[in-house]
Amino acid sequence: MTGFVLRRLAQTVIVIALLSFFCYFLMTLMPGDPIDEMVAANPNMTAEDAQRLRELHGLDQPAYERYWNWVKMIAGGDLGYSRTYRVPVSEILGRSLLNTSLLAGAALVLSLLVAVPLGIWAALRKGGRVDYFVNLFAFAGISVPSFWIAIVLILVFAVYLPLFPAGGTASIDFGMTPMESVIDRARHLVLPVLSLSFLSIGTFVRYTRAAMIEAMSNDYIRTARAKGLSWERVLFVHGFRNALIPLITIVTLSFSTLFSGAIITETVFAYDGVGRLVFLSIQRNDFNVAMVAFMISVSWVLLMNFAADLLYGLADPRITYS
Amino acid sequence: MKAGTAASGIRSRTAWRLGLGIVAILVLATLYGLARPGLGQRSAPTNQALRIGITQEFESLNPLIAQMSATFYLYSLVNRALVKLDENMEFKAQLAVQRPTLENGLARFVEVDGVRRLEADWEILPDATWGDGVPVTCRDLEFSWEVAQSPHVSIAGVEIYREVEEIRIDPANPKRCTFLYRQARWLFNRRFQFYLLPAHLERPVFEAYGDQPEGYEKHTLYTTDPANPGLYHGPYRIREVKLGSHVVFERNPTFYGEPANIETIVAILIPNTGTLEANLRSGSIDMVSTLGMSFDQALAFARRVEAEELPFKVNFRPALVYEHIDLDLDEPVLQDVRVRRALVHALDRRRLTQALFEGRQPPALHFVAPADRWYTEDPDKIVIYEHSRRKAAQLLDEAGWTLAADGFRYDAQGNRLRLKLSTTASNKMREIVQVYLQGQWRAIGVDARIQNEPARIFFGQTMRRRLFDGAAMYAWTQSPEFSPRTTVHSAGIPSEANGWSGQNTPGWANPRVDWLVEELEAEFDPDRRLELIHEIMWHYTSEVPVIPLYYRSDASVTPANLTGYRLTGNQVSATDHVERWNLDRVAGAGTGRTAP
Repeated sequence: MTGFVLRRLAQTVIVIALLSFFCYFLMTLMPGDPIDEMVAANPNMTAEDAQRLRELHGLDQPAYERYWNWVKMIAGGDLGYSRTYRVPVSEILGRSLLNTSLLAGAALVLSLLVAVPLGIWAALRKGGRVDYFVNLFAFAGISVPSFWIAIVLILVFAVYLPLFPAGGTASIDFGMTPMESVIDRARHLVLPVLSLSFLSIGTFVRYTRAAMIEAMSNDYIRTARAKGLSWERVLFVHGFRNALIPLITIVTLSFSTLFSGAIITETVFAYDGVGRLVFLSIQRNDFNVAMVAFMISVSWVLLMNFAADLLYGLADPRITYS
Repeated sequence: MKAGTAASGIRSRTAWRLGLGIVAILVLATLYGLARPGLGQRSAPTNQALRIGITQEFESLNPLIAQMSATFYLYSLVNRALVKLDENMEFKAQLAVQRPTLENGLARFVEVDGVRRLEADWEILPDATWGDGVPVTCRDLEFSWEVAQSPHVSIAGVEIYREVEEIRIDPANPKRCTFLYRQARWLFNRRFQFYLLPAHLERPVFEAYGDQPEGYEKHTLYTTDPANPGLYHGPYRIREVKLGSHVVFERNPTFYGEPANIETIVAILIPNTGTLEANLRSGSIDMVSTLGMSFDQALAFARRVEAEELPFKVNFRPALVYEHIDLDLDEPVLQDVRVRRALVHALDRRRLTQALFEGRQPPALHFVAPADRWYTEDPDKIVIYEHSRRKAAQLLDEAGWTLAADGFRYDAQGNRLRLKLSTTASNKMREIVQVYLQGQWRAIGVDARIQNEPARIFFGQTMRRRLFDGAAMYAWTQSPEFSPRTTVHSAGIPSEANGWSGQNTPGWANPRVDWLVEELEAEFDPDRRLELIHEIMWHYTSEVPVIPLYYRSDASVTPANLTGYRLTGNQVSATDHVERWNLDRVAGAGTGRTAP
């Protein structure tokens, strides 16, 4: 087990290093650089000034040298300077990352809370009215575009039934107690979380249902029931546990993609998250922000894959890590 | 045994349903607990607080290193410049006691090494102080000038500071100083972009980090301590900044001018223009700045405001923004001026603006907007092309492009008259206009092919490096009575030699126009300047390097009870007169009215 963990960690570090170079190189291939943008905005800028600024920002160096400088900077604990926001990257990224984690985490919890019981229920009522209804709901979740559901939620719950804020991360009120601040944050999370969950609920329901139908049709289920085991024990210990493997895969992978998937939700709800920040930084050639965000995203995907591998072993004792 | 199992199964199923029910109740109870009925019900804002929605991101508020439009919109709330450009398109003293001119004797020509130069005396308002009570002096001007020219600081608009060769501060009164300008140019007293930094706070930072690349940018107090009151000397100061989210402004008690009426202003970033209206209606914001709704959205919202009697005003004002089509003069088809003139004759711009903009964006004749004093529609001074397909067809016939049975025109070699028409992709309004233009040109036998690109590629690469091969539609923003050097002088043709700077993307080179621009910039007599600019405009309209389309208008949404607010139509935003904004009026008065 320890050997497996160490081996996987080493692989993860190598993949992160390789991907960081690949991402950096891809970004250098994008047309234009931050100075081009400045020249476009200020036609009076002289060629000498443009060259001076390129040298100042190191943009006159070849890509591999710039990459190496970036690696040294990161290794030294400096995440760099955002040329979009004109502040150190750590200042904007830290807060946005926390906000997105809250949003993505809450959406995942809600999705699992709703999707897993619904999926099991539909599986147990295969072909029945419940199954059709749950399937319809799941397909709606998968098919409806996230921006549309977000706008509908705003119109219904913020404009026509004014129950929740239309957007933002928190109220701007300096007189709130800590408890009021927490409730206020939660209130601002409701609509974005509902919007983000809608898609994942559909996906999770479909996977849970399919895995449960397959698990419940196995001979060992019949044997367990014949042995006189309680219905819950048959369902959860023998059925659901065996259905967990595909569910673990989809949940861990979804958790890593929730960050990128949140871009639209964050934009529509004016939510101060990392997805929107990354989108803007790529658009504006803000290499430092984009690269740090890429690295976090890549690391997160790899870590979640790693977590999935470990969870497989817990869910199914037949899987060993020798 | 069987009966027992069945009973247990029924109990378990009941428990299962109960479990599902509990989950559902928990989720609904949480939602109910968090819901606050009436949360979003809007009430008319008062002078206590105003929330402004903006759709564009903003950055650190250090005016020297900032570049985004939204930052300057917000910056006007907290700081002032020596001169301002007001909503009547007039340049006036703002932080300065008086705007120096040759006439008032505060500016004069001087001879330095045999060259005619210019000197101007500036005096800062005696009561002007930074938010921490330290007086604003010429030392702040001198410090900003020094920072702007540092090789280690990344500043886009350094030319304005570089125009000044020397600043001499009066030792007896540091509020007075004399600027020596490198060249005698009449624009010297219109530089509202010459920003001030508080030397007493920022100089130590600059001295500590100014010799490191980007050292000053990383450590400026505008980034590390943005709520420091000493950084601001405008009607407001900053209470909180959250980049990517909002900025909270509070009334500056040390402001030397008329105190602002509104206590707190919050600028809230709402990046999706599609949700601005929902945010207005739900009461999350009270107004939308000019950096908000697109023009078509504003028009649609204005109609809804009228129909539903909503408590908002939708403001429109013609601006100094010139929407046009650059023609690539290196393109063989477009080298013939008759083809270029035919393309203009073919367009019914009046109908276009009436149909799409309800006449609120007037058709353009040339690069000077109607709000500018230099504007003319005198046919003796410019060439006016009325909509005439007959004239367009005649010009194309003369140029050797013959109409074939398929409805397109061909030259003697059988080449079809084809034109690539590009603009920024995803800009809905431009894409609609583009289809209209395509149709109008199709009617005279021109095959216009639409090929759009994302704004980043279009502006960052295609236009800058003159790779558009045909016609490119976009807009220029200008100041009133400003030299058109970058757009019409041949030195403004982007090339590798000039670092791809300049905006003369058609590649128009006319030695007479170059001479006129040089003369214009050095001419201190306003009447003579008018003659010079009109001659430039005559060449411009006669040779058609660019097809004028329409002049854009600014649009904003304000609460119906807001008074003292006026769109400026120029580069200085309405926040520059924020101290006049007042929400005292009885809420609801003026409901549903659309401002002219």
